[in-house]
Amino acid sequence: MKILVLNSGSSSVKFQVIDTDLERMKAHQDNTLATGLVEKIGLSDSRLVLKVPDRKAYTDYREILEHRAAIEWVLRILSDPEVGILDEVTDVGAVGHRVVHGGEAFASSVLITPEVIQQIEECSVLAPLHNPPNLRGYYAAHAALPDVPHIAVFDTAYHQTMPPHAFLYGIPFQLYTKHALRRYGFHGTSHRYVAFRGSQILGWERQEHKLITVHLGNGCSTAAIDHGKSIDTSMGFTPLEGLLMGTRTGDMDPAVVPWLMAMEEMTLHQVNTMMNKHSGLYGISGVSSDMRELVEARAGGHQRADVAFRMFCYRVKKYIGSYAAAMGGVDAVFFTGGIGENSPEVREWALSGLEYMGIEIDRQINDGLHGGEGEISTDDSRVKVLVVPTNEELIIARDVVRVLNGIMPTWEPPETVTP
Amino acid sequence: MSWELHNVAIIGGGMMGRSIATKVAQEGLNVCLKEISAEAVEASRAELEKSLDHAIARYDLTNSEKKAILSRIRWVTQFDCAADCDIAIETVQEDFGVKRRILRELDRRMVEDHPIVINTSTLSITELAAQNSCPERIVGMHFLYPVTTTRVVEVVRGQLTTDEVYNRAVEFGRILGKVPIKVFEMPGFVTTRVIMPLINEAMHTVMEGVAEAAEVDLAIKLGFNFTMGPLEWADRTGLDRVLNWMKHLHSESGEPRFRPCPMLKRLVRAGLHGAKTGQGFFTYDANRRRIDRLPDDKPRLA
Repeated sequence: MKILVLNSGSSSVKFQVIDTDLERMKAHQDNTLATGLVEKIGLSDSRLVLKVPDRKAYTDYREILEHRAAIEWVLRILSDPEVGILDEVTDVGAVGHRVVHGGEAFASSVLITPEVIQQIEECSVLAPLHNPPNLRGYYAAHAALPDVPHIAVFDTAYHQTMPPHAFLYGIPFQLYTKHALRRYGFHGTSHRYVAFRGSQILGWERQEHKLITVHLGNGCSTAAIDHGKSIDTSMGFTPLEGLLMGTRTGDMDPAVVPWLMAMEEMTLHQVNTMMNKHSGLYGISGVSSDMRELVEARAGGHQRADVAFRMFCYRVKKYIGSYAAAMGGVDAVFFTGGIGENSPEVREWALSGLEYMGIEIDRQINDGLHGGEGEISTDDSRVKVLVVPTNEELIIARDVVRVLNGIMPTWEPPETVTP
Repeated sequence: MSWELHNVAIIGGGMMGRSIATKVAQEGLNVCLKEISAEAVEASRAELEKSLDHAIARYDLTNSEKKAILSRIRWVTQFDCAADCDIAIETVQEDFGVKRRILRELDRRMVEDHPIVINTSTLSITELAAQNSCPERIVGMHFLYPVTTTRVVEVVRGQLTTDEVYNRAVEFGRILGKVPIKVFEMPGFVTTRVIMPLINEAMHTVMEGVAEAAEVDLAIKLGFNFTMGPLEWADRTGLDRVLNWMKHLHSESGEPRFRPCPMLKRLVRAGLHGAKTGQGFFTYDANRRRIDRLPDDKPRLA
């Protein structure tokens, strides 16, 4: 079945068409027919890029003012006799939507129904920047493809297995019950894919091992996956918590916020923007939020770039240590995301000095691995270290198949807390 | 007929026009901003960029957001751009004749039921609209400066404004992330009418020697949790503008509470217009930072 996978942001729609079904999944023969995006939605020069394997990328510009027009454009191009890959739009058998926040309502992927839409809207208060555009993408796709099933796959669902001692904040319990104010974690689909794929490469059963997945991209998070379940992850109530990121603070004493608001007379908006968009690698280095540029700058002797780089790696190391402690050991560490896949420097620094934990890197292999899958630990290393390029779209497409066949696993929280 | 909001015409690239344009572009809508000449366009563009840079330095904005905002604003010198716009807002000076002329120009070019917004704090929407061939599509919106951060807009219904047009203006306010306050046409609406007597009274309190200006301001600021006192607010708004509003409210309503304090008149006559001239009730540096705060007027945690 040809499945359209959509990731709708506020001014962009990323899409893939993946041909898969139960048999292809079993044989690992899922086939990505096309990938692409529409960007600058709302402007007169919106751009569509379509990439089909073994063909030259196709690019087109036109005025696209909202998501519905963007999705219609995508479908028209996908079914174009010259550049497309579908005979007709009706070849699309189902649509999988990435939805950022599923709150406590969704511990797995679901068929989108009016009740589900209602619940996703209720989660919008938790993710005001992300859920509304995700829903806009759904409405647009549903208008264009009303007769096929639409499935929602949530970034938060995979981490719903976190136990309360990991997901609660140390604030009055009533605030949790009143607002569902707790840690959720994000990048769930990526952590899930990487845990699956990394185990597959090693020939392991996921359910038998202790894994740490490290997703280092624009946003960064890491997860402790104990016998197949996420038991902790570094992002929290929002994607701000945890590791240092391109422009986000990561962990910080929350008392900094009221202090800055008082002493710098900053508004809520300013302090929020400061923490989300002016901080992290960019805020520390003053050079860039892009790790490649930082690595270059520190090689050229730029001190603030160097300290930003060290902060970044140090936080990753601290989390690896804490998750090993949380699980009582670790069998493998999997790196993914733009930085995780492409920066040998970061991987080396983040894992340096962890030999006592059984983590040993083959520097030569590590240095040679930019993009692509591979093992970077030495043969003797007790802990296996792999680089696994993420593929969230594949998980979304497969979840569509699972939901439609009634075999979607759920990750129920292991225990409940009563007020 | 369905109405979708994508393109916004703003007439006048002054402080208010730029501030509205910035907010509109920030919310993903396209702006065409009309100024009177190529020189005025250049000056307006430079000022707008400066204010965006200032917002970046204050962490209100990022470099890429600045780029996106600028990419959505098209500067023009002709009214023709209004033909493609779903709504138009005039932001020129508070002058009946000038505003009336602009309304005519817009009315001639814009699609029939697309709203034309008058941005005024004191003038009569009904009277301005009455001079127009389609008075029912004219509606008032009183934005408060800076439009990028204030959370409120007064949406003013003129006598002839249709429900459809009025609701579109309310919706526009919501798209800009503001709470629309629905008001009927009366001089000063809610915000100006309520704040002016407070400012006037603060000035009288100083004039009568009850307390120093700085202490009057600090008492009100700390006592009622305002971000600044009424005199500093007047300084920052421009004492000349405050005086104009008050004169207008006074002549329209005849109420003595709006009679401008003589002290305000004296300062304005002396050219001390507040923060923009460096001196009003208080003293400001070139970046409009107040440099004569009392020692007690400082940030503290709780």
